[in-house]
Amino acid sequence: MSADASTRGAAATRRAGGWAVWLGALAVLFGTWQAALSLGLLSPMLLPPASAVLATAWDLVRRPDFLGDVGVTLAEVAVAFLVAVPLGIALGVAISESDYWSRVLRPIVFLVFSIPKTIFLPMFILAFGITFAQKVGFGVFSTVFIVLISTFSALESVKGDHVRVARAYGATRRQIALRVYLPSMAPVLLEAVRLAMIFNVTGILLAEMYAARAGLGQAVATWGQNYMLRELLAGILLIAAAAILFTEAVRWLEARCEHWRT
Amino acid sequence: MAGKATPLPEAPSPGAGAPGPSLRALPSRNGSIRVTGLEHTYAAAGRVTKALEDIRLDIAPGRFVVIVGPSGCGKSSLLMMLAGLVAPTAGRIVCGGRALTAPDPDLVGVVFQEASLYPWLTAQENVEFPLSLRRVPRAERTQRARDKLALVGLAGFEDRYPHELSGGMKQRVSIARGLVQNPPVLLLDEPFAALDEQTRISMGDELLRIWEQTGKTVVFVTHSLTEAAYLADQIVVMSARPGRIVDRVEVDLPRPRTYAMMGTPRFAELRQRIWEQIRSQADG
Repeated sequence: MSADASTRGAAATRRAGGWAVWLGALAVLFGTWQAALSLGLLSPMLLPPASAVLATAWDLVRRPDFLGDVGVTLAEVAVAFLVAVPLGIALGVAISESDYWSRVLRPIVFLVFSIPKTIFLPMFILAFGITFAQKVGFGVFSTVFIVLISTFSALESVKGDHVRVARAYGATRRQIALRVYLPSMAPVLLEAVRLAMIFNVTGILLAEMYAARAGLGQAVATWGQNYMLRELLAGILLIAAAAILFTEAVRWLEARCEHWRT
Repeated sequence: MAGKATPLPEAPSPGAGAPGPSLRALPSRNGSIRVTGLEHTYAAAGRVTKALEDIRLDIAPGRFVVIVGPSGCGKSSLLMMLAGLVAPTAGRIVCGGRALTAPDPDLVGVVFQEASLYPWLTAQENVEFPLSLRRVPRAERTQRARDKLALVGLAGFEDRYPHELSGGMKQRVSIARGLVQNPPVLLLDEPFAALDEQTRISMGDELLRIWEQTGKTVVFVTHSLTEAAYLADQIVVMSARPGRIVDRVEVDLPRPRTYAMMGTPRFAELRQRIWEQIRSQADG
């Protein structure tokens, strides 16, 4: 019991350490920012003061037009994510189920994965126009390959012994899938979810910056073209914060099943 | 052979469908194992390999049988067949009076090499796993798993995850899992191979204690001659591929076995006999 308490204590210390690192990183970021300005290393024309950018960010999050853009992007990101992740996992499992399709399709998946997806964006515009479906479609396309490949390695991480134990105790196929495969694959799949979100958001923001009527990417692109640096930097800060929050949340889940990997 | 002495209980035609009034409810499941003409061949890399040939076993309920042989002799395959996990190419396995064609957890519990515990489940949940597959009510599940963990000396470790347990403790959990459905037969596939010498010996003692307490039929696969002679009633010696049974040695050392017996001339003699059998086969 005291061992448990000390483990918990150590975890608490680690968490506190984590927060300290975070705060430290933020302090260094804003410190260098202010220092670069006051030392005259960067012109305020290129880099507005941090305080001004933060004030603009605070302004932005209360402006209905900006919140509208956020809503559009979030909707695109969410739909693309909810399509791409299950689709990638289902395809990965289906391909791996068959030896024949494994041999035919796996190399193709890896080949396509190595092509930068951005060059296909014009094709999506031609196929879907400048629409919600085009953004989602491109998001899915940007994401599905990394999920597929992660699913392959998640399946490989399932131990033969673990499956054999379940069979020896009379498990049905369904029980083996849910009680052995799923938990065995969970750590790798969580990592896939994290990577998927990064690929997905990147794809959708790019699609919005390239051609869109609304959305965060479109807003950021417009601010850039119109030299609205405060808004531009505030937008970047907000998107970065949201992305980091999501990634950290998934990493927290990953850490919780860390000992499954042994 | 002790086969004649094995009273095979009634085994009315199982597929008959007509529920014989009381016979059906009777547990006709003793731990006898009878293997006849067992063969196993498999194709790998375009070549057909014969792994097991003409295996015949006749194990009376409650016996402790150890199978030894050089690595690659198919002793683990044989055990997987006894567990119903691998279908033999030819031959027949009759267990508890019934032909064995698929895993039957009511009849056979299996303990695998090294840690085959699920790392995402606690010790308690790992032991409950076979019961939960069959939807045994939670309260009963908890109680039975607790009892078996206590039997293997792990009371108080119910909530530990496998990574928090030592190698020996993990195999104790595996044994508890093998026993939780109270099958008359327990199969163990080199269960202590990954353990250090001291842990290995004390785990052997533990297993003998559990065996004496529960009266299971035990089939234990190992490549350690010392382990074989220390644990067994009977040692089945197998040859290298294709695996055949080349000798059956009755171990007449008294029970309970003690560490001191390993120093006796009889123990040395037994080991010597098995070793010569294995070596003569390996040369051939």
